[in-house]
Amino acid sequence: MVVRQYQEELQYLEKISPYSWRIKKGFQPNMNVEGIFYVNQKLEKLMLDELRNACRPGMVGGFLPGVKQIANVAALPGIVGRSVGLPDVHSGYGFAIGNMAAFDVNNPESIVSPGGVGFDINCGVRLLRTNLFEQDVMPVKEHLAQSLFDHIPVGVGSKGIIPMNAKDLEEALEMGMDWSLREGYIWAEDKEHCEEYGRMLNADPAKVSMRAKKRGLPQLGTLGAGNHYAEIQVVDEIFDKWSACKMGIEEKGQICVMIHSGSRGFGHQVATDALVQMEKAMKRDNIETNDRQLACARINSAEGQDYLKSMAAAANFAWVNRSSMTFLSRQAFAKQFHMTPDDLDMHVIYDVSHNIAKVEEHIVDGKPKTLLVHRKGSTRAFPPHHPLIPVDYQVTGQPVLIGGTMGTCSYVLTGTEQGMLETFGSTCHGAGRALSRAKSRRNLDYTDVLRKLEYMGISIRVASPKLVMEEAPESYKNVTDVVDTCHAAGISKKCIKLRPIAVIKG
Amino acid sequence: MADEFTEEELVLPQCKYEYLDHTADVQLHAWGDSLKEAFEQCGIAMYGYMTELDTVEIKQCSDIEATGHDLESLLFHFLDELLFLFSCEPFLICSKVTITEFVTEGEELRIKCKCYGEEFTLGKHPQGTEVKAITYSAMQIVNEPEKNRFEVFVIIDI
Repeated sequence: MVVRQYQEELQYLEKISPYSWRIKKGFQPNMNVEGIFYVNQKLEKLMLDELRNACRPGMVGGFLPGVKQIANVAALPGIVGRSVGLPDVHSGYGFAIGNMAAFDVNNPESIVSPGGVGFDINCGVRLLRTNLFEQDVMPVKEHLAQSLFDHIPVGVGSKGIIPMNAKDLEEALEMGMDWSLREGYIWAEDKEHCEEYGRMLNADPAKVSMRAKKRGLPQLGTLGAGNHYAEIQVVDEIFDKWSACKMGIEEKGQICVMIHSGSRGFGHQVATDALVQMEKAMKRDNIETNDRQLACARINSAEGQDYLKSMAAAANFAWVNRSSMTFLSRQAFAKQFHMTPDDLDMHVIYDVSHNIAKVEEHIVDGKPKTLLVHRKGSTRAFPPHHPLIPVDYQVTGQPVLIGGTMGTCSYVLTGTEQGMLETFGSTCHGAGRALSRAKSRRNLDYTDVLRKLEYMGISIRVASPKLVMEEAPESYKNVTDVVDTCHAAGISKKCIKLRPIAVIKG
Repeated sequence: MADEFTEEELVLPQCKYEYLDHTADVQLHAWGDSLKEAFEQCGIAMYGYMTELDTVEIKQCSDIEATGHDLESLLFHFLDELLFLFSCEPFLICSKVTITEFVTEGEELRIKCKCYGEEFTLGKHPQGTEVKAITYSAMQIVNEPEKNRFEVFVIIDI
């Protein structure tokens, strides 16, 4: 890392619009392209404070600030366009979280990096609608929350209840949501409203270690812990009535269910295994990076291809996982209201992946190019008429689901043409942490956090109540700031605001 | 798998670890009178994040082995093995780990370790936070026998 004074560092940053900053070459060594990050005034302060802290003399054992990480990513071989930081960006492992970078597949030097995807491969958000309204749910809210909590296994050490053996797992890894459909857990139309139709075709379970499969098997159909959750939400505000209508959201007060989860231990192990493999590949192919954590391999090397195939299997795992919890949520609602999920109109509005790398076609400098787009803590946001979005959303643009944190709002956005040009069709993914976990634990008291949620009328069922302060709204950036920045910068457009009334988490 | 333990085996080690600040994840800081002890403590520190260790009884023991090409990768693989022990059969949560073989020189570094604990059981063991992965991020190993300083810093992804 280049050591400079904070004021000198600022020379390399330039505010180019009220909502974006340019990171010039030279901010970190060997930058192939420039960086950009999107922030409003409040988020800007958090971002620059992080940098200022890292510049303080005598900082040891610390970590790289997000803005430095964005610049390090800009130094990776084969990157095109810009290394992009979204408004919820914060320091992560190698790549910042809320970082997007695209690599030219036809450049033999280009790389794929597991750090650009994250440990929780295909972590994502799914939104189900219902035809219920707030007044239907309020009288039974506590029951319903408890019922969801009883149906969905949550928290560390919980095991899935969907019966699975090793052979089922192999098939699920290969088939993704086609497996869920075949086994009768989902509806055929669920697939339509999912990125990649819930199945990455290049998945190859043979490239996945036994270790990953062993970790994955007991955890399929579990929510997990940390920031993962299932929430019952109410439509609080509709910004774009027409697009909301296309998603089946008619008016304020309508009830939705949001599920935020990923590929569990399976994906974590796939990422860990790949990082070990890539260390070797980097030595062999003399790939130089600014940070050891940016372990990577050439896209066309054996290690690169193996990673993409196993990552795809992990992505399929995550879709099956969210599908299994969709099934369980539908069951919980059906039992509560003595109606079938069909009669409750519990359709999937959309399902997004915010930790993933995908091969996509984009226009770079006026020419079409095939790119490997890494989105880590960043959501795809394709504009209207893009061929890869389902027919129902051809005219609205792809729905983008932004999960808040426990007790805060969530949003549905839609993709825009400007986002396609500026950020390769990518936008934010959530709130993004502001406080460290340890700091949250020191500064907040869990009983206060729970009491505050109760006061706000939010039922909460949590496997580890003593850790709720780590996920308290105070520990995160304000999701409304994040979403407003994306909207103002034009990289996606606000459509619906949702407010939680019940939270289930690990 | 042994069910009988000697008294010595049932004695729990002192707590020589703490959790440090990191934005998204948590940094384990462990120390000891030897590097071996610092490694053992680091393992316990990780388990301590998953549940409250005073609820864990020593009922069974599993043996693990880890190798590495340098101290960092040895520590990485050691913790990865411990995490694996918890994540699938036998779903072991440990309150004590004892390294029985600790080779830190030569071509291949190696650890053999006995892990004491019991199967993680919902209802008995409070759920803490799930550890997704071990990382090399800002990993530091202080190995200074002349100053009697043995410390390790590891960030775990949660």
